[in-house]
Parts: sequence; structure tokens; C-alpha cells
Amino acid sequence: MKKIIYSLQTKLIASFILLIVVIAGGTFFYTFNETKKALKETMRDELKTVASAVATQINGDSLSILKMGDESKNSFRIIRDQLLTIRSSNPDIKFVYTMRNENGKVSFIVDADFGNKDDAAKPGDPYEKTNPRLLEGFYKSSADDDFTIDQWGSVLSGYAPIKDIRGNNVALVGIDMESSRVIEKQNFIGNTIYLIIGISILIAAAIIGIFSLTIIRDIKKLNQNATEISKGNTNVTVEVNRKDEIGELAESFSRMVASLKFMMMDQDKI
Amino acid sequence: MNVLADKILKITIEYIGPAAERFLERQAERHLNGLKFSDIERKDLPELAKWVKISAGLLVDNSRASELAEKILKA
Repeated sequence: MKKIIYSLQTKLIASFILLIVVIAGGTFFYTFNETKKALKETMRDELKTVASAVATQINGDSLSILKMGDESKNSFRIIRDQLLTIRSSNPDIKFVYTMRNENGKVSFIVDADFGNKDDAAKPGDPYEKTNPRLLEGFYKSSADDDFTIDQWGSVLSGYAPIKDIRGNNVALVGIDMESSRVIEKQNFIGNTIYLIIGISILIAAAIIGIFSLTIIRDIKKLNQNATEISKGNTNVTVEVNRKDEIGELAESFSRMVASLKFMMMDQDKI
Repeated sequence: MNVLADKILKITIEYIGPAAERFLERQAERHLNGLKFSDIERKDLPELAKWVKISAGLLVDNSRASELAEKILKA
């Protein structure tokens, strides 16, 4: 076991595998991170675009006057149905809702799921987990920098301001896209890269193993010859034929062995 | 040592190593009627090459011994 650990072949293979792991690992982490960023950026851009498009379809004047208790009003239902249609048109959209910001306090106005789900937000329900991107959405289209986890799930959100007829920003529309699809894509890319690295390491180890085997084999032959001669057995021949440095070593060794044999041999024999 | 002997010695060193001179002297003395290797002439080369091939075959593998003999013959 000790011999295997200290052998040149083991050292060669271990060194090259370590080198490949370091290089491949570095490449993997950089590529994976950049790919994750790119995927997220693409999703953010998509969300901003969708939110902006949706915002233009909502009547800001009707929306701005809705308050707690107005759930039965026709104007509420119209906007709710609009949001529901938008949500239904894209399987990736999980939630669509509108919010207002009154003196720094953010609350829901119309939620697409109101009337269809028990946990849907009602007009006036406060939203505590605001972030700079959400607040930015009251002025320009924006999207969260990272996934949001709240009582409604794990999503990436995009926002856009809703204007009244005079062009004033009166509310925002929020679009929440289910994060699992993005995470799935990220994991798929990560797993693919792992697989490629794994296969590369195996192939490299096999190639290095075969290459080092030929070198070690010839070094062992020379070593065996040296051992035999050192024990007084001159009946050895150097059988290493290569054109590289080991071949040159073998030739030098052959010359030394020949001279030694000549000196040690019976004078009558040669 | 004459020019021919010197040339043959250099060729043989590549195969036999530092013992080459002593080796060649012994071949010439034993198989070329006591000739001194340093006085070797071109007419002696075929006989020398033949005995080098046989004797060198005891020191190195046969293919190298044959190779050495060929080079001596063409020296």
C-alpha cells in the first residue's frame, strides 16, 4: 500500500487530477455564477417589460379611489378580472396585484386572486416586506434584485407605475414570477457543468494513467537492471527503446552496464 | 592511435561505454593475430566487425551489437 502511495505514477496522476480540479472548479464557479446572473437579469428584464405593458392597461383613475370595503364595486371587479386575465395568459406568472404608497405605507388595492383564493390580499391590506425596488416601482419599471420569500411563496417580482389620466403615478402593478423555473434552469446548467467536469477528469485521468504507465514501466526496467547488477548479476540487457529523455537515459545506462559487464566478465570469455 | 582506430573507438564508446578501448584492443589482439588496435587498417575491418558483433552481443542486446558491427564496417 505504501509503495502505491509513494509511486511516481500515483504522484503524476494525483498531480494532474488536482490541476484539472482546480482549473475546472474555478471555471465552473465563474461560469455558473455568471450564468445565474445572466438568467436572473433576463428574467428581471422580462418582468419589467410585462409589468410596464400591464400598467398601461389599468385605469389609474378608477384604481386610485378604491379603498377597503370596495370589493363589491364594479370598478374593483373590472380591474380584478383584468389582472386575472393577465395572470392566466402566462403560466410563469404566479401573482398579479396592485398597490398604493401612502406616506411610506404600502398596501394592496386589487389582487387578481381576490374572490378565488382564501389567502388573496384585500384592499387596504398592508404589505410589510417592502424593498427599494418595490418602492422604485411607484415611479419607474423595476424588478427585485433577488428572489422574495413571503407567505405567498418564493418569487421574483417586477413592478411598474400606474398613471391616472393626468399622467400622475397613482399606484403600481406587481407581477410575481414563480422562481422554481429559474432555479430549475440554474440547477440544470450547474448539473451539466458538473457532469462535463466529471467526465473530463475521468478522461484526463485515463490518458495520464496510460501515459505515465509507459514511462514508469521503462523506469522500472532500468531499475530492475540496476538492482541485478548491484547484486553481482551481470547477465542483464537494457531493453528500453524510446526516442525521449528516458530513451537517452536508457542508452547511457546501457553503455555503463556494458562496460561494467566487460570489466567483471571472465577474461577468456570476451 | 591512427585516424581509423580513433573513429572506430568513438563509434564503439557510444555502445560499450568507457571500456570500449580495452574491448577493441582485446578483439584485435585475440582475433586479428595479435594486431595492436591502434595500428588497425581498413582491410582488417570485416574481421574486426565480425568479432565485435559476437563479443558485444555478450554485453548489449544482439540488435545493438549488430548495429555497432555495421557502423564499424562502414567507418
